[in-house]
Amino acid sequence: MTPAIEFVGVSKTYQRRFGQPPVAALSDISFEVARGEVCGFLGPNGAGKTTSMNILMGFVHVDGGESRVLGCVPGDLRAKAQIGFLPENFAFYRHLDATDLLRFHLRLSDRRVEDADALIAELLAKVKLDGYKGLKIGKYSRGMVQRVGIAQALLGKPDLLVLDEPTSGLDPAGRKEVRELLLALKAEGKTVFLSSHILSEIENVCDRVIVINHGRVIRAGLLPEMLGEPDRVEILIDRLPEALAQAVRQLGASVDHQLENIRIVVNSAHKRRVAEMLWSGGSDVLSLTPMRSSLEEIFLKLVGGPEAE
Amino acid sequence: MKIWTIAINTFTSFLHSKVIAVTGLLFALPVAMGISSVLIFRGKPELMGSMLHDLSATLQFMSALGSLIAGFAAADAISAEMKSGTVLAVMARPLERWQFLAGKYFGVLLLMLAYTIAMLGTGVFLYRLAGLPFHTPWWVLISYPFVRYAVWASIAMLLVTFLHPFVTMAVVAVIISVVTVLASPAAANYSAWIRVPLHVTLPLTTNVLSEDRFFSMTQASLHRYPWAFHATALAYGLNYALVCFLLAALVFHRRSLVRG
Repeated sequence: MTPAIEFVGVSKTYQRRFGQPPVAALSDISFEVARGEVCGFLGPNGAGKTTSMNILMGFVHVDGGESRVLGCVPGDLRAKAQIGFLPENFAFYRHLDATDLLRFHLRLSDRRVEDADALIAELLAKVKLDGYKGLKIGKYSRGMVQRVGIAQALLGKPDLLVLDEPTSGLDPAGRKEVRELLLALKAEGKTVFLSSHILSEIENVCDRVIVINHGRVIRAGLLPEMLGEPDRVEILIDRLPEALAQAVRQLGASVDHQLENIRIVVNSAHKRRVAEMLWSGGSDVLSLTPMRSSLEEIFLKLVGGPEAE
Repeated sequence: MKIWTIAINTFTSFLHSKVIAVTGLLFALPVAMGISSVLIFRGKPELMGSMLHDLSATLQFMSALGSLIAGFAAADAISAEMKSGTVLAVMARPLERWQFLAGKYFGVLLLMLAYTIAMLGTGVFLYRLAGLPFHTPWWVLISYPFVRYAVWASIAMLLVTFLHPFVTMAVVAVIISVVTVLASPAAANYSAWIRVPLHVTLPLTTNVLSEDRFFSMTQASLHRYPWAFHATALAYGLNYALVCFLLAALVFHRRSLVRG
């Protein structure tokens, strides 16, 4: 089966006016997203994420390389009929209400439904916008506009969802709902390609992660492989005499005095020794949990490290 | 179906935008002038010439205003979508770029059809108010200005696919001014070096592009020219519009939909 998204040596340079030097947005990037995967597309601002998404939607033409989406060239109507797209900082017609907007998009999609009103009502209920009939989008808050955007992305019952910052502007409850929605889509076998700056969300829902910086892919792979095996342990204790604290620090452990307990993080190689020291020193060990690097730590290391240069 | 959906949405967008408010205001000014003139000069046969002059000026102003609105609306229909980013969600649908452009174009034409009908209604009202007979057939007063607006809209749409909307508007305004002068009845007195190229580039279309000629077209002049003449003149105008639209579609197909 062909991949859902395929970039092979894609380059894109934006020409600028008035003699300013051109900007290389993407330089020879290659990656694949398999069908049924949820793929996180990460990178700092200006890394080339939105340009990549615009290329795969057919909005921007490449200067070099090849890209395919659902086996078609970007912009092909057969592919677009199966894609749900949420642009970054998108805007919708301010004179329409959410129902009219979804009806407008439904007419433009190739999806034929017997009861369009019922489908639209169902989608609006899904994104918690069912109580705002008649309110023009121009009067919506940023979070409400984002919810309409998510509803329109789901409208065509797409096989592939391309979501550029789907949780932008949403409150924590809204972010949680989007996360649950993504997990539901994943369970249905949909392919999701999303960018987000909230890495904990990516870590919770994604199978694969692609990290780009300065228009180049600096890391790509399955998320469990990228996160690796646990390499540290977190030990929570009730008290820590100063002499004992110095002893564990000498083993490279970090000590953090929290409100109700004390948190010690130490390399897995020293976990047994530290735990024994704490027990024998009179501290009550409340818990001992294996830890591995978070996606955020890996991301910051990648975009700030030598691979980023 | 998709083109029609976009056209209707474009038309309703205009009705909710500043375009309609500015249009209404600018439209009201000459109408007020025409009504004032009729009320002042009505029933005074010795001042009939002044009243006819004012009525003619009113109708010409409304007609010329329509040309500018057609250009502005067409440029705005595309540039507003690009600037706000609404074009991205729309073009993510299974829709060809030319279909999007055609929808926008037909939306502008719907606006201009409404404008043309309003202009015709105003003209009839002013003539009736003045107690004057209205000889010009209604289809002439609709089809000629409508085709002219279709030409200006397509030119503006072509220009805005690669120029800034303000630059587009300035260029369209200059083109409208130049063509209006060149297509006026006075063009018959121009030197040969102007008349010959004009005849080559605008054959028969002077009737379409002139802001005032169709208003002086009486039933008698229609009889003098067979229907085929009008059909050909209008077809020439539509041909210009079609060529400009196709060029606009070509440029739009090749350009990026993302600003910056």
